[in-house]
Amino acid sequence: MIDLPVLKDAEASAPRERFWRSPADLRGETGALRGGEFMPGASEPPGGSSRRDFLRVMGASMALAGLAACRRPVEQVLPYARQPEEIVPGEPLYYATGMPYRGVLRPVLVRSHEGRPVKIEGNPEHPASRGATGGFEQASILNLYDPDRSQRVLRGGMGAEWREFAQFTQELDGAARIGVVAPPTSSPTMRALRSRLAERFPALRWVTYAPEGADPFRTALRTEAGASARPVYRFSEADVIVSLDSDFLGPTDINLLSHAAEYARRRRMASPEDAPGRLYVVESAYSLTGGMADHRKRMRSGEIPAFAQAMAARLGVGEPPDGGGAGDAFLEALVRDMQAAGPRAAVIAGETQPPEVHALAAAMNEALGAAGATVSYLAADDAMESPQVEDFAALADAMHAGELDALFLLGVNPAYDAPPEFDFAGGMGRVARTVHLGLHLDETGQAAEWHIPQTHYLEAWGDGRAYDGALSVIQPLIAPLYAPAKSDVEVLGLLATGVDTPGYDLVREQWSAWLPGNADQAWRKALHDGFLPDSGYPEAIPAIPPPSEAAAAPGAEEIEVVLRLDASVLDGSYANNAWMMELPDPVTKIVWDNVALISPAMAERLGVSAKYRKGQYEVDVLEISVEGRAVRVPAWILPGLPDYSVHLAMGYGRRIETDRPARKARFFDLDHYTDIYADGPLANGVGTNVLALRARDMRCVLAGAEVRTTGDAWTISTTQEHGYMEGRPLFRKATLSEFRENPSFAPDAVPGLHGQEDWEDYPALWQKQHPSEQPEITENLYYENQWGMVIDLNTCTGCNACVVACNSENNVQMVGKDEVGRGREMHWLRIDRYFVSGDGADTDDPAMVVQPVPCMHCENAPCEAVCPVAATVHSPDGTNQMIYNRCIGTRYCSNNCPYKVRRFSFFNWTKTLPETVKMAQNPNVTVRFRGVMEKCSYCIQRIRGAQQTANLEDRSLRDGEVKTACQQACGMQSIAFGDLNDPDSAVARARANPRRYEMLAELSVKPRTSYLARVTNPNPELEPQG
Amino acid sequence: MGHSTSHSAEPPLVTGNLSFHELTELVSRHAEKKPPMGWYVAIGISSLLLLNLLVMIAYQVWNGVGVWGNNVPVGWGWPIVDFVFWVGIGHAGTLISAILFLFRQRWRTSINRAAEAMTIFAVICALLFPTIHVGRIWVIYWTLPIPNQMDMWPQFKSPLLWDVFAVSSYFIVSLLFWYVGLIPDLATLRDRARSFFRQRVLGVLSMGWTGSNRHWRNYEKAYLLLAGLATPLVLSVHSVVSFDFAVSIVPGWHTTIFPPYFVAGAIFSGFAMVVTLMVIARKAYGIEDLITINHLEKMNIIILLTGSMVGFAYITEFFIAWYSQVGYEQYAFINRATGPYAWAYWIMMSCNLIAPQAFWFKRLRRNVPLMFAISILVNVGMWFERFVITVISLHRDYLPSSWGYFSPTWVDVMTFAGSFGLFLTLFLLFLRFAPMVALSEVKGVAPQADPHFYDGESS
Repeated sequence: MIDLPVLKDAEASAPRERFWRSPADLRGETGALRGGEFMPGASEPPGGSSRRDFLRVMGASMALAGLAACRRPVEQVLPYARQPEEIVPGEPLYYATGMPYRGVLRPVLVRSHEGRPVKIEGNPEHPASRGATGGFEQASILNLYDPDRSQRVLRGGMGAEWREFAQFTQELDGAARIGVVAPPTSSPTMRALRSRLAERFPALRWVTYAPEGADPFRTALRTEAGASARPVYRFSEADVIVSLDSDFLGPTDINLLSHAAEYARRRRMASPEDAPGRLYVVESAYSLTGGMADHRKRMRSGEIPAFAQAMAARLGVGEPPDGGGAGDAFLEALVRDMQAAGPRAAVIAGETQPPEVHALAAAMNEALGAAGATVSYLAADDAMESPQVEDFAALADAMHAGELDALFLLGVNPAYDAPPEFDFAGGMGRVARTVHLGLHLDETGQAAEWHIPQTHYLEAWGDGRAYDGALSVIQPLIAPLYAPAKSDVEVLGLLATGVDTPGYDLVREQWSAWLPGNADQAWRKALHDGFLPDSGYPEAIPAIPPPSEAAAAPGAEEIEVVLRLDASVLDGSYANNAWMMELPDPVTKIVWDNVALISPAMAERLGVSAKYRKGQYEVDVLEISVEGRAVRVPAWILPGLPDYSVHLAMGYGRRIETDRPARKARFFDLDHYTDIYADGPLANGVGTNVLALRARDMRCVLAGAEVRTTGDAWTISTTQEHGYMEGRPLFRKATLSEFRENPSFAPDAVPGLHGQEDWEDYPALWQKQHPSEQPEITENLYYENQWGMVIDLNTCTGCNACVVACNSENNVQMVGKDEVGRGREMHWLRIDRYFVSGDGADTDDPAMVVQPVPCMHCENAPCEAVCPVAATVHSPDGTNQMIYNRCIGTRYCSNNCPYKVRRFSFFNWTKTLPETVKMAQNPNVTVRFRGVMEKCSYCIQRIRGAQQTANLEDRSLRDGEVKTACQQACGMQSIAFGDLNDPDSAVARARANPRRYEMLAELSVKPRTSYLARVTNPNPELEPQG
Repeated sequence: MGHSTSHSAEPPLVTGNLSFHELTELVSRHAEKKPPMGWYVAIGISSLLLLNLLVMIAYQVWNGVGVWGNNVPVGWGWPIVDFVFWVGIGHAGTLISAILFLFRQRWRTSINRAAEAMTIFAVICALLFPTIHVGRIWVIYWTLPIPNQMDMWPQFKSPLLWDVFAVSSYFIVSLLFWYVGLIPDLATLRDRARSFFRQRVLGVLSMGWTGSNRHWRNYEKAYLLLAGLATPLVLSVHSVVSFDFAVSIVPGWHTTIFPPYFVAGAIFSGFAMVVTLMVIARKAYGIEDLITINHLEKMNIIILLTGSMVGFAYITEFFIAWYSQVGYEQYAFINRATGPYAWAYWIMMSCNLIAPQAFWFKRLRRNVPLMFAISILVNVGMWFERFVITVISLHRDYLPSSWGYFSPTWVDVMTFAGSFGLFLTLFLLFLRFAPMVALSEVKGVAPQADPHFYDGESS
């Protein structure tokens, strides 16, 4: 330390005024943090001598010695000419808005850095989100920055101007026969504009079209006013839940977040006395809900109506079908259980089931007295909607018959997803004027005369209603990335009024009716909160149609094909999204492909298999045909599926056009290989469009299919090549009675070795000398917090929302199918899926469990000891940190990680990222260069951010103030994270749970991330599954 | 020198009744005359391989480690297999020179020079692999303890760091030892040199050696000291390399048997490589009188011994896995023998354990074509041993969900082939420019050095 008397004198004669921030500061109570402008360690060198002292003296000498001779380098910093209000560089801002999703609005809160939206969170104020999101909300940010979005107005494939389009619409004759196809929407502005459009064009045909088909709820249950009755389930009240082919906890469910929150509340068992409900799932697919079931029965989709009827008959609703399910022990036990639960039972029917089953479910709930207790109904404001199937068919026929003068396709893609029988693209050719509004120049856009680039929901004004009806404004966070882009509201507004009105004005005008008193203030409040309070749908009592005749059950050996929304790409709208393409399917763990799922028995009959070859699977390609319509899809064998049942996911086999040129790489570099965007749109060439199997009725369950092998092979990449746990106590579970017998079953699951000594007996080895007990750690200010995480396996369904959230928050790069096949995926958080079957049980019908695995932040981290350059070290607050710029990439740490959660950048993934995709990167997280190891950091940037805020406010951190990205997204709240030093923190409480165990604790690595074992609640009358 | 009378019945170490001058001629002329056509062909091929190595390294550094087959969970693939393989090869030379010197095994003299050269070149190849295998080669110097303004030091708990020290000190000591041994012979070459340039260069390299008594005394003392220094290094370097594995917690790596097992394996592979090279060199250079069939037989006995030790270790590992009661450990070994890489395991077993058993028979261990074939098999087997340890252990460890599969890319294969180019090029240059047999030492054990047969009677 440099110590000069002259400096001391200068300090002593300093002015006497004191500057203070708070009374506590003035009294000197704020401890060591007081006075430090920066966080500890940020401005002092590790050696201890102060940089400031050094600079002070050196700077003075230099100034005296050479001031006159110096010329300062000229560096120009360009400030905001007009500093926008509220923007502090480096400080993110959050805006509430909503994401349109399958006809409802998902309330979200978007983080924006310097005017650039980068991360989607749930809106914690909104009852339909409570801060959580599904994976699709998380991924939608990347849709905004999709490099293949269309950027120009096109007319006949040539560039055109919006002005010309406006002129074209204004010139349309009022007598013109206009057709409009739009996706289901909850937007009041759209509804109002639709009415005005009908006024301008009395011959309007409006078709609400969703590729997955009309929501069966809408057609099954209606209020007296003709609106559909929306069921709302309170699973937390239900002792018995019966799902009839409903994947209500699955990622594509419309009301997932509410279902998840309700379901989890009952399953979050803190002690053996807690009574979880019991979940029965009767289903055709192996869904995530099926994985959560206490009893799961596999059954073809076509057999479920008869099962539902038999069930209903026993509950006093309608007549049993022929045969009546007599002698079915499962059915009998299930019904007895339901009767015992009475009003505390709930039946829920799935989207693949016809409206009759939904009506039966409602009738059963009614008969049990559950209506009003575990299920209630809301009257949606969709009385003007008519069933999609008839409308769409009529429209298509009119197109072919030349009875349509103009067709407007607003954000839909029927040329891709309509049944081939309609020959929609061909029909468009017979309509004089066709207009397509879309994010991409997709299949429909290519067939249309006009193409207008559509805005992303983060770019334009709009509105809508959440599932419960709460009204929200969609407020944009950024001006459209491509200037010509227009929103559906704007295009419709132009068409309906003939005036080119900005979206804001249209929405604002619509909303003026709902804004009481000081309208501007109420509007601002609605924008700020993200919703209008008390604007939900009213409760309703639906008219339950009488039970109808049972649909003919399929023949015993009749093959059924079921088409579903894909868990990753939905209906194809996320197909050009790298995060979603590389998101492992929650059940099969397959990436970048769609497959035909078949049961092991069916695979054996067909003679198909999956050969493990060099880390990938080589599978047979099947030809699946229904009434002459055929698709070729690779086969994937999934245990737990019913026999004679084939499951296909929609959304693949896309054909998007882009202006982006293909990448050309020099012969010696691999930029072409490492750039997943190199060969045009990601969606192109991945999978097959299975919607081509559908007939005019657009049903997604197709009976009487034929399946044959083609002799072709296809290579499949998965992120998990091995699905059995090999008898290792990794995922631990017990039944409720076992739990009550031995509450510590989970930690007890690892038998000790003969003669094993407890390492606690050697404190000198493990504790006294432990680095975490050394003064340089314990005297560090960060030592005050000790971070830990607990993941509840009782509630985690494996829906992947956390994985996408992690990708988005932590700039995790996507690597493409080939690289995943080589085992080089970069996901920081993975969800392991294992099948479980008891000794001697049928391995064709196993239970399925999922287990999220992030970095365990071991206290005795094996990775830290082996790094030759100390690039991975322990922080004083108990996290295992990866220091990217110190890492030289020996990969020893990854080898020594027993959880294999470390990820290595084998190539420079960010070098080739398109400019727009780079905009989606979180500026608070380092973008990693190649040759560097990375892994889950417990979102350390969030921890430090919260600590800085707390520091500035002179207080300690509050529990729940730091949320990791995965924790924040989770609708089940399965992840508890926080400070272990705070005995009242949620994570400390979770750690006191008797179900808690540490995976691989026997290695003495002392993981900070631990699990709460699953407790199932099987019916004692039935064989437990798995 | 404890030679009993019974040993006098031992066959002479140098045959052909060569005079000292004939011996000098026999060895020195190869470093002086224009090499034969075969040498040009050989170095042509090996330099092409070397060029290929340089291209592969450039390609890898430019594009990233991803050009190899490594992945997660198999973070270490061929480069580390190749590294351990070459370090192992690099064991025979110093063992022959130092340990056999200390044990007064006089037969070592005709092979030690070439074996030491081989050691040095093999260690060069070995040092190459860990260097290029890191993700960011441009900061590899962070593994060295260089003072810096950040107060950042390497992490001394990491076995990789021990490796850096172990292999580099082994390399330095081996090089010194080799060079010190070369001095008298370089002086011989210098004395025979005709051209001015050659005289000067050799003059500098031979450090003014005159062959005086004083020089010999200093030389012998230095040689003995270096032999004493090199001996623990022979044992330590591969022990430390084995710590890369043994210190980790990966099932199949985490075993205490590794240090002796690795050292035995290294000697095993090193001797096999010496046999491979010597069988060719003695034929090509007509030095069968110096490297006699008896020398080869002795080496084959060591191959048999160390091969059986290694085989014993393989079996012990299985026993310990069973005895440990640890399921992960047991699975790791069952997976070795029966898993997707079982073929590699059984190649290793048959090449390393079974093939050398032929050397129990005197007729077979004196059969030159057979020993050549076996030495090649042993080297193949020892490469696979490292593959088995590195890749098979990693590809299936604790969590079945993260199990994976490793397959090499063409870059892996070409880089490994290229390392042979580096090795052979250096070795061919050595054959061309340096005395390939330790002349001064061989002369000491030649029958002519003992005209009165004192040696047999001295004890």
